[in-house]
Amino acid sequence: MHMNTQTIVSLAVSVALVGWAFWIVSPKSSTGSEGTTIPTAIVVDGTQIIDIRAKGGYSPRRVVAKAGVPTVLRVSTNGTFDCSSSVVIPKLSYQKFLQPSGTEDITIPAEQAQGTLQGLCSMGMYNFQIKFE
Amino acid sequence: MSGTHCAACAVLIEQILAEQANIESAKVFLSSRQVTVIGIFSESPEKIAEELSKLVQSHGYAISVEKQTNDAQLGDFAYAVPIAAAVIIAFLLLQKAGLTSLITSSNVSYGTAFVIGLIASVSSCLAIVGGLVLSLSASSAKEGGTWRTQTLFHVGRLGGFFILGGLVGLLGNSLHLGLTANIVLSVAVALVMFILGVNLLDVFHFTKRLQLTMPARFGKHVMNGSTHDHYLAPLLVGVGTFFLPCGFTQSMQLYALSTGTFMQGALTMFVFALGTFPVLALLSFGSLNIAHKPWKGIFFKTAGIIVIALALLNFTNALATAGVVNPLFNF
Repeated sequence: MHMNTQTIVSLAVSVALVGWAFWIVSPKSSTGSEGTTIPTAIVVDGTQIIDIRAKGGYSPRRVVAKAGVPTVLRVSTNGTFDCSSSVVIPKLSYQKFLQPSGTEDITIPAEQAQGTLQGLCSMGMYNFQIKFE
Repeated sequence: MSGTHCAACAVLIEQILAEQANIESAKVFLSSRQVTVIGIFSESPEKIAEELSKLVQSHGYAISVEKQTNDAQLGDFAYAVPIAAAVIIAFLLLQKAGLTSLITSSNVSYGTAFVIGLIASVSSCLAIVGGLVLSLSASSAKEGGTWRTQTLFHVGRLGGFFILGGLVGLLGNSLHLGLTANIVLSVAVALVMFILGVNLLDVFHFTKRLQLTMPARFGKHVMNGSTHDHYLAPLLVGVGTFFLPCGFTQSMQLYALSTGTFMQGALTMFVFALGTFPVLALLSFGSLNIAHKPWKGIFFKTAGIIVIALALLNFTNALATAGVVNPLFNF
């Protein structure tokens, strides 16, 4: 019942490869490779509007917004049938299955527009982040 | 006894043996991998063991007079680990490939529903639905389940999607769970997958007492629909997959809901489920087929590793959805 060299080598190589694949899909590497500037939310008539497209993930994945301003998170779908159509924002206890095509306005009151708001799809495969500064 | 892994095996062996005319009772002791048989015999103990072995052979068990030594073939891992790693890497990269952008139309014809099903079966849904199917069918195959168990599961899934899809269309309400129920269900599914995955690895004979086993009742119902009259359990598990947190299923429901009629809703969901069928059928009937091949040990260990990895993925995703941890992945 001892491990032979073959087993150990195959184990080590496998672990290294899987580690590499996980690095590829980790949130850090995806934001790093995506772009240089993080989009900033725009303020219209005292309301901050953040546009996020949902299809096969969320884009942009990171948005910087002003803290303490009434905010509307506008999520648009266009032929979206994957996980990203079911949006979950744990901090707001928000969950909604969006129509395959359309837009959904999620209101974030000024007092909740603080810190980092994490949104993700109901299976957790895709996510986005809003940083209130 | 060799080949026994869980409470369901014990139940199966006891029932097969007890059916014999000359056997009064049979009791399996999982922890010591022994079976005590009381009955009327005329042959030598060796001959009896041989005869009894024949009865359970088709299910992958063997009975002998001498105590079996631990036969967890660790050498199998030399093959199982790299194969599992390759599958996991392929799965991760496939998620990265952006298959979902292939769906361009927002108008869902039955053809589109089928394509969405096909894509769903290799996308994120594979982690939860595919993982569950792989763990259940590999375990079932290992316990001696037949094609009937697997077929009933698929019949339940396709039929369930038809009827529930019809109800969604008719009632104009989508049948999905709330946030908390979703998280609880995801954790429960991850736990079941984890337990089945550990059992598939087959390395814990020496800690049989500590080994995670399904309660005998549950195991008996889900795994052995073939040997007993429990046709219902695999059928119900199939229907239950309708409620699994798979984004595709939920958005198809929203579409089915908008059709407004029973027939259109039913057909949309049915065709979608039909699209997921090839991959799921490959997983379940493939497991069944391989269970009789000489290299089944490698397969079960490979399946075990993959299932455990997917269970952990689902578990961390459920925690992320609950807001407990930050998401670990972004495909």
